[in-house]
Amino acid sequence: MDLSQVGVVCFLASYAVAYGLEWLRLRGRSQINRVTTLSVGLLGLIAHTAYLVNRSRMTQLPPLLSSSHDWLLVLAWLAVVAYLFLSATDPELAIGVFLLPIVLILIGSTYFVSDTVNRRLDSLYGWKMLHASLLVLGMLGVLVGFVLAMMYLAQQWRVRHRQQAPEGFKIPSLEKLARLNRWSVMIAVPLLTLGMGTGVGLGLYSKRGAEAVQFNDPVIIGSGLAWLVMFSLFIWLMASRRTPGRQVASLTLWAAGFLLTTLVGLQMATGKKVFDLKTWHVHYAAPQDSWIARNSR
Amino acid sequence: MNLQLVYCNHHSAELAVRERLAFPPQRLGEAYDTLRSRFPQSELIVLSTCNRVEIYAAQERPEQAPGHRELAQFLSEFHKVPLPEFFDELLEHTGAEVVRHLFQVAASLDSMVLGEPQIVAQVREAYRLAQESQASGPITSSLFERAFNVSKRVRTETRLSEGRVSIASVAVGEFGKDIFDRFDDKQVLIIGAGQMAEETLRYLQEEGAKEIYVANRTRERADKLAADWGGTVVPWEQLDDYLARADIIVSTTGASLVDVARFKAFRQKSRGQATFILDLGAPRDFAPEIGNIDENVYLFCIDDLQKTCERNRKLRQKEVEKAVAIIDQETDSFMKDLSHRATGPIVKRLREQWRDVVDAETERLFKKLPHLEKDRSEIEKTIERMMNKLLHPPLEALKDESREGSPHGLLDALKRLFRIGE
Repeated sequence: MDLSQVGVVCFLASYAVAYGLEWLRLRGRSQINRVTTLSVGLLGLIAHTAYLVNRSRMTQLPPLLSSSHDWLLVLAWLAVVAYLFLSATDPELAIGVFLLPIVLILIGSTYFVSDTVNRRLDSLYGWKMLHASLLVLGMLGVLVGFVLAMMYLAQQWRVRHRQQAPEGFKIPSLEKLARLNRWSVMIAVPLLTLGMGTGVGLGLYSKRGAEAVQFNDPVIIGSGLAWLVMFSLFIWLMASRRTPGRQVASLTLWAAGFLLTTLVGLQMATGKKVFDLKTWHVHYAAPQDSWIARNSR
Repeated sequence: MNLQLVYCNHHSAELAVRERLAFPPQRLGEAYDTLRSRFPQSELIVLSTCNRVEIYAAQERPEQAPGHRELAQFLSEFHKVPLPEFFDELLEHTGAEVVRHLFQVAASLDSMVLGEPQIVAQVREAYRLAQESQASGPITSSLFERAFNVSKRVRTETRLSEGRVSIASVAVGEFGKDIFDRFDDKQVLIIGAGQMAEETLRYLQEEGAKEIYVANRTRERADKLAADWGGTVVPWEQLDDYLARADIIVSTTGASLVDVARFKAFRQKSRGQATFILDLGAPRDFAPEIGNIDENVYLFCIDDLQKTCERNRKLRQKEVEKAVAIIDQETDSFMKDLSHRATGPIVKRLREQWRDVVDAETERLFKKLPHLEKDRSEIEKTIERMMNKLLHPPLEALKDESREGSPHGLLDALKRLFRIGE
């Protein structure tokens, strides 16, 4: 089987099918459904991995650094790994219903973001890798927090309305969700902060050279604003240890939703496919490097 | 003999209705006094639990039976609830259906939580209180005694009582575990010290609850429950402080304890923690509106368990069928016994009366025709067969009729036709 021809649509379709199968759980627990869902998800992950490996080979860069397109796909890949691990270990946990739509949105958004290869990696490669890794892990934490907040609100609605959970459609207790929600924010925000910090450091360092980073860049300003919102949530959580779970979930949903929307939206806005907002991120990238453009010709 | 039942339960009436018709233990004596004065010819037993309010009546003759409307009127006047507000939800059974219903109740087939063990104790307590009030009698005694045997038989011959079968276990297992991940770090406050409180405590301890507080108006009962389960007794006057602190509150008093104002007052003193309130009282201890005031307060009452219990019931359908078969068999058997009690003396007197006639006529025949003496045995057997054959149709009719209750009409007819005295 030739995996070099795998396209985004292959794993996007797999995850969409897995998502549809997840909803079939509502009609009752079935071993066949479970195995099929996990198999389809796993096939999608294999295709997803092959695509990222191919991209890395072509660009001769790790996917985290090569382009916004690849970076978002890495984030989605991590989310799928988390989904498959949790689903395999707890057959009744309904994580897919909440997590897979975000995966689909992330992958779908890659059609609208830049896939041009970043050529500014000549120096400080390790620091840039650290910057991208911290940001992607921080984003994963935010994404997990967002999913947990959704699960909390869904569970609370169910409990308050005395609705029974369908068989095989388990959501953890409110107490557990609130605790995990808090921890996800507590872990994600420091990672994002370190990621932002290394980014600022790299920007300051670039002032020494000819290609200085502009701090009034829309991506940097937008990301900074989104980080500030998450950081405020972090400070609030630190200050109020006994905050009711629902408040934590609601605020996480808003803050994480804002951060995810802002970051993905900014990538789309600067990706030259939907809008053409000028940014440092694509300013130095050569248009002829567009891998998708080349492959689609 | 005539049996009658007027009742409402969790199938027929909402908790809002049941709680208004419920008999608190302290008012049961008064209820029996009123019932006895209104229906002096009847044996009466009142069964009042969180899921049902039932009045059983038994009397020798059907014309002595209190009517459906009369019992409803009693409920209306005793509880000061206008009759139209509950009359349509009040059901009635007579004869064998009363027996079947009581057997189903005692075997917990009619319970919200199928197979739950508390109901048989509640039926036993109702029977004891009726005896104490001298409201029960020989018919109701034999009916209730049989119900306890049926309950035991269903418990031993089916698997109905296996698994999660108490109201507390369903409530905590189904809803408590959706709220809390663990119970060993939670403060549990039990209000009331009855059977339901004890059952809930047992389940919560099995789930790991350690910090348990017990509050009860009667201090001695709270002391006993707390001692039995390793809890701490809370003075009744300090209840609000503990209501504010508790993560889990189980209330079983049926005394309308906490209204919205009182709830708001103690909630203000709390740390805003998630609180799971399980109100197992009827009437409810917590005003239902409390569940909508604070997002972190989860208030559940008995009726909230309905859907879970339905699912529970479907899973145990096979065991239900076995239990129903036992109850059908026991109902038939009890009705036969009851009928035998009612018809036995009449049948016996009828046979004796005919026997006397046969004996007298046989003697007269042999005196007149002594040469028949050698065939005496054969002649006596023939007359015996004739007597049995002639008696067979009326006695069979009596038997058929008695399957659905005491055949008073037929018994009266027999007495008049054959001049059988009381």
